[in-house]
Amino acid sequence: MLPGNSDNPAVQSGQRWLWMMPNIAVGVFVLAMIALVWVLQKRDFDQQMATLARDVQWTEQTLRLHMQSDQEFLQELAREASERRLEGAEFQARATLYMATNPHLSSLAWMDADRIVRDAAPPETGDWTVGERHAREEQEKSLASALASGRPVYGNAYVDEHTGPSIELFVPIRRGRRPLGSMVAVYSVPGMVRYLVPAWFSEKYHLSFTAAGDKLLAENSAVHPRDENLAYSLNFDPPGNGMQIRVEAYRGETDLAKTLPILLIAGLSLLVVWSLWSLRNSLARRIRAEDALRTEYNFRKAMEESMPTGMRAIDMLGRITYVNAAFCNMVGYPQEKLIGASAPFPYWTMEDLAGHERMLRQSLAGEAPRGGFETRFCRASGERFDVRFYEAPLIDASGRQAGWMASIHDITEQRLARAELEASHQRFMTVLEGLDAAVYVADLETDEILFANKAFKSIYGYDTVSRNCWQVTSACHPEPAQFMAGARQLASHQTPLELYDTQLQNTLNGHWYHLRERAIQWVDGRVVRMEIATDVTDRKKMEDINNQQLERLQQTSRLITMGEMASSLAHELNQPLAAIANYNMGCVNRLQANEYRREDLLAAMQKASLQAERAGKIIRRVRDFVRKSEPNRGAVQIAEIIEEAVGFAEIDARKAGVRIAVRVPPELPAVYADKIMIEQVVLNLVKNGIEAMLDTPHGERELAINARVNGKDFVEVGVTDRGHGMLVEETDKLFAPFYTTKPEGMGMGLNICRSIIEFHHGRLWAGPNSGSGSVFSFTVPVHP
Amino acid sequence: MTEEQKVFVVDDDDAMRDSLKWLLESRGLKVDIYASSEEFLAAFHGGMTGCMVLDVRMPGMSGLELYEQLQARAATLPVIFITGHGDVPMAVTALKRGAADFIEKPFNDREMLGLVERCMAEDRAARDKRAASALATQRLGSLTQREREVLDLIVGGKLNKQIADELGISIKTVEVHRSRVMGKMEVNSVAKLVQRVMKSQG
Repeated sequence: MLPGNSDNPAVQSGQRWLWMMPNIAVGVFVLAMIALVWVLQKRDFDQQMATLARDVQWTEQTLRLHMQSDQEFLQELAREASERRLEGAEFQARATLYMATNPHLSSLAWMDADRIVRDAAPPETGDWTVGERHAREEQEKSLASALASGRPVYGNAYVDEHTGPSIELFVPIRRGRRPLGSMVAVYSVPGMVRYLVPAWFSEKYHLSFTAAGDKLLAENSAVHPRDENLAYSLNFDPPGNGMQIRVEAYRGETDLAKTLPILLIAGLSLLVVWSLWSLRNSLARRIRAEDALRTEYNFRKAMEESMPTGMRAIDMLGRITYVNAAFCNMVGYPQEKLIGASAPFPYWTMEDLAGHERMLRQSLAGEAPRGGFETRFCRASGERFDVRFYEAPLIDASGRQAGWMASIHDITEQRLARAELEASHQRFMTVLEGLDAAVYVADLETDEILFANKAFKSIYGYDTVSRNCWQVTSACHPEPAQFMAGARQLASHQTPLELYDTQLQNTLNGHWYHLRERAIQWVDGRVVRMEIATDVTDRKKMEDINNQQLERLQQTSRLITMGEMASSLAHELNQPLAAIANYNMGCVNRLQANEYRREDLLAAMQKASLQAERAGKIIRRVRDFVRKSEPNRGAVQIAEIIEEAVGFAEIDARKAGVRIAVRVPPELPAVYADKIMIEQVVLNLVKNGIEAMLDTPHGERELAINARVNGKDFVEVGVTDRGHGMLVEETDKLFAPFYTTKPEGMGMGLNICRSIIEFHHGRLWAGPNSGSGSVFSFTVPVHP
Repeated sequence: MTEEQKVFVVDDDDAMRDSLKWLLESRGLKVDIYASSEEFLAAFHGGMTGCMVLDVRMPGMSGLELYEQLQARAATLPVIFITGHGDVPMAVTALKRGAADFIEKPFNDREMLGLVERCMAEDRAARDKRAASALATQRLGSLTQREREVLDLIVGGKLNKQIADELGISIKTVEVHRSRVMGKMEVNSVAKLVQRVMKSQG
């Protein structure tokens, strides 16, 4: 469940109030109903009570009426007895007759003044045995009272063992003031109940007689349950002292009628409460659902607003009914301008109205292609952009289709990117396929060829991909790839890694290939090796030709150098020759003048021969230099090379007033080189240095030659002048053929020097000197 | 007091220097040798007479530069340059600046000796001339202001009368001055007087 706003306290309190109203209403209603029922019941009860009282009084009246008539009968008998008209069987007959019609009397008796029973009906019943004295002591008081007062008196109620609860009525018989006895009627209380109380009363009420002290004397029935609330007690005093009549109404169908409304009210109230509760529940559910819906709506709205996809809905007539923010942004029109618009829409391009209309018709007809339309829209600014849009039916709440919803994607960039990608792929493929070099990519472990370009396929066949690269190329490889040691276990982070770089001849077509193999990470992440085989046959041929040319050039240069040397040689030889001539003529002159000392002559002659030797050395150097034609590499001391080169350059240096300072550490290793060739390089550099210093003041004309170890494989020689130096751009051109700064130079010197050094696998370069002038340096290897 | 004439050899090549000394001494010449221009300059003084043999190309200061230095110091020694095969233009430059001569290696010993001896003679003559001139100058210096004026007018070819008019003095006084000038200049004729004055000015 999404978070809603049902936690809002204001809403909650409002709802609580809202909920209290029906609750209170129901409560008040229930109370009112209960009150109403209570009032009704009370009235009913009062009514019943009144009825009861009336009935009871009526019954009492009836009872009293009967007893009155009994009393009157007895008084008549008593009167007759006092007048002595009641003789013989008269009493018996009249009493029996009377009793027959009044069954509630259990017996009638005639008692004389001495309390002796004269006659009784029925005879011989209970206490009333004729001739016997009335035995009941407890009635004595009543009897005496009756006799004394001369009026009928009722005795207290008692329970006779034969006739049950009874009451006696004493009517005195007097003649004048003299008591003659009494007439006694014995009431059977149950008999009274049974015979004097009407049947309808008995059916309706429970009636009981109680003596003083709540002693139950008789009752009509105990069959039905009684309503104790609906009871009425009445003193039945005249007959018996303290006797009471108690009447209780029976509870019957009247009970149900009484409780039914209550039950109904209770039931209905419960029903109302339950329905309210369930309403509340359902309302709460509804609110929750509404909250969820609102949240969901907001969520969807936010989603819709945030997404770059434009949404546009049209109704079945083709009018716009909805656009989202993204769509508005996309086309640059405000929402108000778009909603309600019908075709042609403002964002349609004028040049393709027909196309837009056709698409709209298709959309409305539900014939929009599943893949959507691709078309071009026009922004408010007039700018065109490519879109793709998908139509989907818009169904309203009743399930009826209300229109069409379109999602619109700006695919301008996507299309550009795709075109770019395609173009770049195309370019990539064109480049790869257009390469002369054969390129293939093989799995490091399985050697399966994953990719091969056209050049490769044209050599090894067009079915090479997915075959084993060694099988494919075995015919051309002189030996299997021992250079692969360890490469099969390469991890991707070690790439790219150069595996090997070599040249080999294809044994099939005789072409030379430059093979270069690298470990790279392939597109699927695994480490593969990529081999690029470039056909270098032509280049190799060119190199050979170049080498030959270089050799010829070297030869030529040697000759040029020799020409230059010839003049140096003339100079060089002049020195010893002139000295020899001088010594010689000095001797001759002395001998001719005959003025000499023998030792002087000897010394001079020795000096002359030394000079001759010196001349010889010079000649030998030249001879060595000229004799050399084929490169002849061997271990040479660099010091020796420098010394000889300086020897050649000495004359030039002296002529130019240049001092040559050679600094070669004695512990330098021997280099592996052609002595004469390196000598030529040194000589060339020294000569250049000397020439560079022609404009330098005399005291500063120093040319330094230094040698030192460079790495562990090379010896580096540097020739430093203090000349005019050179510009940076000049250093690039220095080594180009025919570049020269000298008016009479050929521009071959440095070019040849570099060729010579490169032939030795060394390097020759130039740079500025720290003070002024330049440093020309080269390296020569120590090992073959 | 003048020194004995010598040949000053400046060459950086030991053998060349030594052999030249050997050769020149065989003709009885006095030879001083120097290994560099700097060494020579250090030893140089105005009283040196004779001639110089200079190698054009030397490390440090070249022969030509040394020559220029000497000229700056008004040295009068004649200089013979020894040049190599390619140095002829340089030698020509030197000649134009007043060098005595140049000799190209390898040179003939007689050629060299001849050149040296000629230079020695030239040096000697030049020195004599310089000495005479110095004497004349000295004598001229001993004249008084008035005597000098009179001398100038005499050399100018003026007669005593004209001189007297020009200077505003009497002829007698002119004659006295004239006899004193003749006496101080140690001449006895006007012709000799004129010659001597010219010498001092040359």
